[in-house]
Amino acid sequence: MRTYLAEFWEHKDLTLSFAVRDIKARYKQTALGAAWAVLQPFSLMVVFTLVFSSFAQVPSDGVPYPIFSYAGLIFWTFFATAVSQGTAAIVANSNLVRKIYFPRETLLVSIVLAAGLDLAIAGVIFGVMMGYYQIPVPVTVLWVPVLLAVQTLFALAVVCFTSAIHVTLRDIGHGIPLLLQLWMFATPVAYPLSVVPARLLPIYQLNPMTPIIDGYRRVILHGQPPDLPALATATVITLVLLALGYVFFKRAEGTFADVI
Amino acid sequence: MPDVTVSVDNVSKRYRLHRGWHGSLRTELAAGLRRLVRRERSEEDIYWALKDVSFEMQRGDVVGFIGSNGAGKSTLLKILSRVTAPTSGSFSARGRVGALIEIGAGFHPELTGRDNIYLNGSILGMRRREIEAKLDRIIAFAEIDRFIDTPIKFYSSGMQVKLGFAVAVHVDPEILLIDEVLAVGDASFQTKCLNKLAELKEQDKTIVLVSHNMANIVQHSKKVLWMQAGRVAAYGEPESVVDQYLKSVREQLTSEDPSESVSQAMSDADRPIRIDTVTLCDREGRARQVFATDEAACVEIGYTVQRAVPDPVFEVTVQDGHGHFLGGVTTRFDAVKIDTSREQGRVRLVLHPLLFLKGDYTINVHVRDEYIQRYHDYRKRAAVLIVEGPSIASREISGHVNYPHRWEIL
Repeated sequence: MRTYLAEFWEHKDLTLSFAVRDIKARYKQTALGAAWAVLQPFSLMVVFTLVFSSFAQVPSDGVPYPIFSYAGLIFWTFFATAVSQGTAAIVANSNLVRKIYFPRETLLVSIVLAAGLDLAIAGVIFGVMMGYYQIPVPVTVLWVPVLLAVQTLFALAVVCFTSAIHVTLRDIGHGIPLLLQLWMFATPVAYPLSVVPARLLPIYQLNPMTPIIDGYRRVILHGQPPDLPALATATVITLVLLALGYVFFKRAEGTFADVI
Repeated sequence: MPDVTVSVDNVSKRYRLHRGWHGSLRTELAAGLRRLVRRERSEEDIYWALKDVSFEMQRGDVVGFIGSNGAGKSTLLKILSRVTAPTSGSFSARGRVGALIEIGAGFHPELTGRDNIYLNGSILGMRRREIEAKLDRIIAFAEIDRFIDTPIKFYSSGMQVKLGFAVAVHVDPEILLIDEVLAVGDASFQTKCLNKLAELKEQDKTIVLVSHNMANIVQHSKKVLWMQAGRVAAYGEPESVVDQYLKSVREQLTSEDPSESVSQAMSDADRPIRIDTVTLCDREGRARQVFATDEAACVEIGYTVQRAVPDPVFEVTVQDGHGHFLGGVTTRFDAVKIDTSREQGRVRLVLHPLLFLKGDYTINVHVRDEYIQRYHDYRKRAAVLIVEGPSIASREISGHVNYPHRWEIL
């Protein structure tokens, strides 16, 4: 494990190069360019506001529903992009994997980094909305880096498994978009945690994305700290999954070139 | 003190044929059930590309890998470059391993030449700072300074190869793997490659060279590793290993039954003229297979005329041991008329002097019409001609033919 990490660290420049490639190539020959990074969460926010707030009267914990859902959506989109693109990352680079050796996890980390840039762009719009709704920025916003760190590691843990399996079993590529859709509704993105029945909460909280998405809203919109016990559980689950996933990934790595 | 840089210890590599989830669910389930019932894995879908391979390389070694196609050379390279892991056994490499195997792998067409230098350089193991320091040299080497900020999708394929090569040779690895693919460039590209190789040798790098060109192997290697059916057949001094290898190729060629090479596809009705026998002999007509470079060798063709055709042409072509076409002669070129009035006939081609250098050559014989519209009969690998004499391994001469020549000091 330590040698894996040391080798990965040796290749940090490669990780950055892959991220730069992904970012530069992604919006080449597009008219809207980086606006696409905003369009995905923003259009979902519009739809959610219509469907959940206007039609279904879903509560939003005392903040305007558009900014409530957008806060959840930009961070969920970051996770969903990282997982769906990370899953396909090894196969998408099969010409490299078949011919040249480099630690394959660089491809996964670079995908997450590139998704992080989209998040930053979408975050600018979020800042504009904060100003529009005249919501003051509380000091608890300093929790954001912590939440972001746990979320990033969790996304990496997931793609360690899914990307390695995807090399032999392409069904994963079809299953992941479906899973992400279901997963989003199992996470308080479109609705607040407060509407979840109390008896379901223990199971519901096992989803590491729950305290993370809920946490962002608490620390940015409400000026509260995150739900610390739930966040601690999520962190433990994340770290265990990441360790297992990384070892699994590195074991599988040796035969990627044979079966890809 | 010998300084071991690469050590390969009992490495084996197994591939499964038609395995994994590549088939449909139904065939997979059926195969899985069969394995369960038989409680064993069928051996037929397993293929050992490498079996118990062990050898060592030292600093400053240039090792040529030789062997026929499918002998395991490429798999061994993949293992040394860590693209794939061995099924069993272990290997260690001290220092950065670079591979001149896939020039320009990982180029992104939408990115500029400059961006691709950074991308490809870091894929090949360079740090960003290192690339920055070498950037000007790489651009100069690739001769593309005017287009460096143009997306490489607008580059010609030649420019892309040059850029890929420029990056690859500046990686500066301790251990360098060079595959045959380098031989596909144009002449100036190959010259650049050979000069770079000489430079690296002077720097005491450890180099692996894979080639089918025995002259190149002997010229550049300090040692030769001969792979055969996934195993190391021999490892050692270049000339003797290459000689052993060439001998085994020859034995394989001569052991093939020539009658099998008669075209089975053509029925007698399609064959107005049938080639019955092809024999090698000397001027006196005595059958022989082994000749010296300066001797006379004859190819004697016996044929049967089944149906009269106007002006048939006999053609004899020669291939080297690797199947490369070396040349051919025809009766038409030399204005020799073939008599089709008698049912049986014989024609003899005299090669005097033989000119071919040490090696094994396969002889193909065709008979066709004047306009190359129709083949009346053909015999591939009709005979194997063995030439003894000064070896390519003597490093004095290269190629297949010793032209009539002399040197004049002016």
